[in-house]
Amino acid sequence: MAEVKVKPEVPDPLDVENRIIELCHQFPHGITDQVIQNEMPHTDAQQRAMAINRLLSMGQLDLLRSNAGLLYRVKDSQNTSKMKGSDNQEKLVYQIIEDAGNKGIWSRDIRYKSNLPLTEINKILKNLESKKLIKAVKSVAASKKKVYMLYNLQPDRSVTGGAWYSDQDFESEFVEVLNQQCFKFLQSKAEAARESKQNPMIQRNSSFASSHEVWKYICELGISKVELSMEDIETILNTLIYDGKVEMTIIAAKEGTVGSVDGQMKLYRAVNPIIQPTGLVRTPCGLCPVFDDCHEGGEISPSNCIYMTEWLEF
Amino acid sequence: MTQAEIKLCSLLLQEHFGEIVEKIGTYLVRTGGQPLRVIVSDTGTSLDQVKKALCVLIQHNLGTYQIQKRGFVEYSVQCSRVLCILRYPRYIYTAKTLYGDTDGKTMDYTEVSSTFVRLADTHFVQRCPGVPDASGPSDSAAPPAPTLVIDEKDMYSVPRLNLIGKGKRRRSCDDDDNGEHKAKKQKQDLESQEPPPDDGIYWQVNRDRFHQHFRDQAIVSAVANRMDQTSSEIVRTMLRMSEVTTSSNAAYTQPLSSNEIFRSLPAGYNIGKQVLDQYLTLLADDPLEFIGKSGDSGGGMYVVNLHKALASLATATLESIVQERFGSRCARIFRLLLRKKHLEQKQVEDFAMIPAKEAKDMLYKMLSENFVSLQEIPKTPDHAPSRTFYLYTVNVLASTRMLLHRCYKSVANLIERRQYETRENKRLLEKSQRVEAILASMQATGAEEVQLQEIEEMITAPERQQLESLKHTVNKIDASENQVDETIFLLASYVDSTVVAAAKKP
Repeated sequence: MAEVKVKPEVPDPLDVENRIIELCHQFPHGITDQVIQNEMPHTDAQQRAMAINRLLSMGQLDLLRSNAGLLYRVKDSQNTSKMKGSDNQEKLVYQIIEDAGNKGIWSRDIRYKSNLPLTEINKILKNLESKKLIKAVKSVAASKKKVYMLYNLQPDRSVTGGAWYSDQDFESEFVEVLNQQCFKFLQSKAEAARESKQNPMIQRNSSFASSHEVWKYICELGISKVELSMEDIETILNTLIYDGKVEMTIIAAKEGTVGSVDGQMKLYRAVNPIIQPTGLVRTPCGLCPVFDDCHEGGEISPSNCIYMTEWLEF
Repeated sequence: MTQAEIKLCSLLLQEHFGEIVEKIGTYLVRTGGQPLRVIVSDTGTSLDQVKKALCVLIQHNLGTYQIQKRGFVEYSVQCSRVLCILRYPRYIYTAKTLYGDTDGKTMDYTEVSSTFVRLADTHFVQRCPGVPDASGPSDSAAPPAPTLVIDEKDMYSVPRLNLIGKGKRRRSCDDDDNGEHKAKKQKQDLESQEPPPDDGIYWQVNRDRFHQHFRDQAIVSAVANRMDQTSSEIVRTMLRMSEVTTSSNAAYTQPLSSNEIFRSLPAGYNIGKQVLDQYLTLLADDPLEFIGKSGDSGGGMYVVNLHKALASLATATLESIVQERFGSRCARIFRLLLRKKHLEQKQVEDFAMIPAKEAKDMLYKMLSENFVSLQEIPKTPDHAPSRTFYLYTVNVLASTRMLLHRCYKSVANLIERRQYETRENKRLLEKSQRVEAILASMQATGAEEVQLQEIEEMITAPERQQLESLKHTVNKIDASENQVDETIFLLASYVDSTVVAAAKKP
């Protein structure tokens, strides 16, 4: 029997490309080189490489690196149309900004990542902004810094400051009001527990309020225009702890009870300070601003101290 | 000895004992132990006067002497003992509240002796060390100064004496038929011919015991503020039971079982055993950590955590001072730093929820007054400021010492102001004293109403007002000296207890 020679079929380059794009659509997360090889065993590495390069330069494929190697992903067709008018540099800058997600990226960082000179970067950024592809957001941490992010993304909390900031301004009155409201709630709960005069264990346990209860109370009060989460309330309660008015304990709670996070619950209780204002601050010397300059026989001395004279006249 | 302490010591000595004692005392505080000759030559006072001044100092337990190796005697004055003079009113007040006030009426000897025995039993007074009996060979040279010895177990035992009926003394109060009973007497002017059997036994006030009592009071009131009355009573019972068994520097009292506590509760409190157990569990679980559970025998063994209690009280004092001086937002930052130990500027703003500008301002103000300090952590070996972490922290011991120094200076200022006010109105005071003397003598000789009125009118109305305001001023300054002394006590106890605890660590 004569050897049948099978003529190796030269696949059409366009065919290869279309096939690759189909595969990419099938696996939207991205495909590796291995997958392409499996699907099209009759193409060799060079043809594959050529096809992939062409697709990349046309902007239809995205090249990503993952743990397993290189991944190819189909690019969003909408985006590809937007970038038609831009050149490679702009595409690069756009890619960097996109990678930064909703935290945004500073212009100096863009420069580092793309190795482009400053003037170029500025031109590109202005271009992209006018095309409404990116926007600049002022960071609340450093008010002179501007971070860039994609136009349709919501800025992250760390940039705008979250619930406590409105338009880059820290809302101290809001925080103060919340502070006082929470304290009043806990105080009244402790009062009620003390009045009940039952045995001490029950008294103490009923004077505790969980962070979930406080959160519900504040939401129902309706003093906040912004939606507050339980973590926000917990930061407010922490400031009350630092004021020395409230103490906190953590107890183990069953998963599923309301307000428990990871099997724990935080309980808060209003407390009194353990000592009265101390003796030193009841004399003028304790609060005197010129204490270090005061000595007998000098300009400022106990004998002619005006603070003492006022104080003695009470 | 800091400058402030020395100044305060000299003011106190001058006020209570006079110029000469003040000069000698201040000199000894400043230079430590000195032999007699050196004192005479350095202070420029005569030998006689120096001897008398030293006698006064040693009598009042402010000074001591010591035989040095070379055979001469050195005298020294301890600053802490002189500063205790400030606390005398508090000691007297405590003794009055604990053991009853005489109200100025004459006490009969039975009351005096029973009160004295009670004071000795609870260790508020103790026996002074005495000269040992001459037991060595007679030809050995007598030492230049006697070494005083006291046996531990004799320190609080009051010798039983009988009152001999002579002169002002009364009959014996005890009816025991052992012929050697003598009641205890503290009168200096003994009129009997034969020396009483307790001659040579002198008693002194046990300051450490009073300090222990003040510390217990502070702990009990802290518990009462934080929890309720019943818990504070329980803590008071526990402290009372460990009064005589725990040394004053211990970090913990002896463990007490809940059964013992139940038995020792004061009679008025009829709470059940289970309720007591609940209270004890609550106290042991409280974040204050004043009471700790050390075992389960006997219904649960509990200790009072003295060192921790003192630390909490001192920290609360610090916080209160910061709050009064700088405001409650600064106090919030201060407490935050106490809890979290080291924080960066940004973290302080985030945790305390204070706008960045104000937080920065407050931190710098506290930094300038040395309440907080900065810790640098460099990222690079060249310590470049832009590449270094700066962490704020509070060093409690250092801040306590600084505030203690400030307290001493404040008390010195108050005393000086009081003396100044008295000096300014000296003329008026003398006049009023003269008028009172005249009034008293005239009343004694039976003068008429009209004449008395005339004399009284020698002091005009504005002068009377001035006198009133002077009295008011002096009282106010006195009261505030006592208040600052309370702060001094808390801070000094904390410093002492920390130093002792640090020395014990290996």
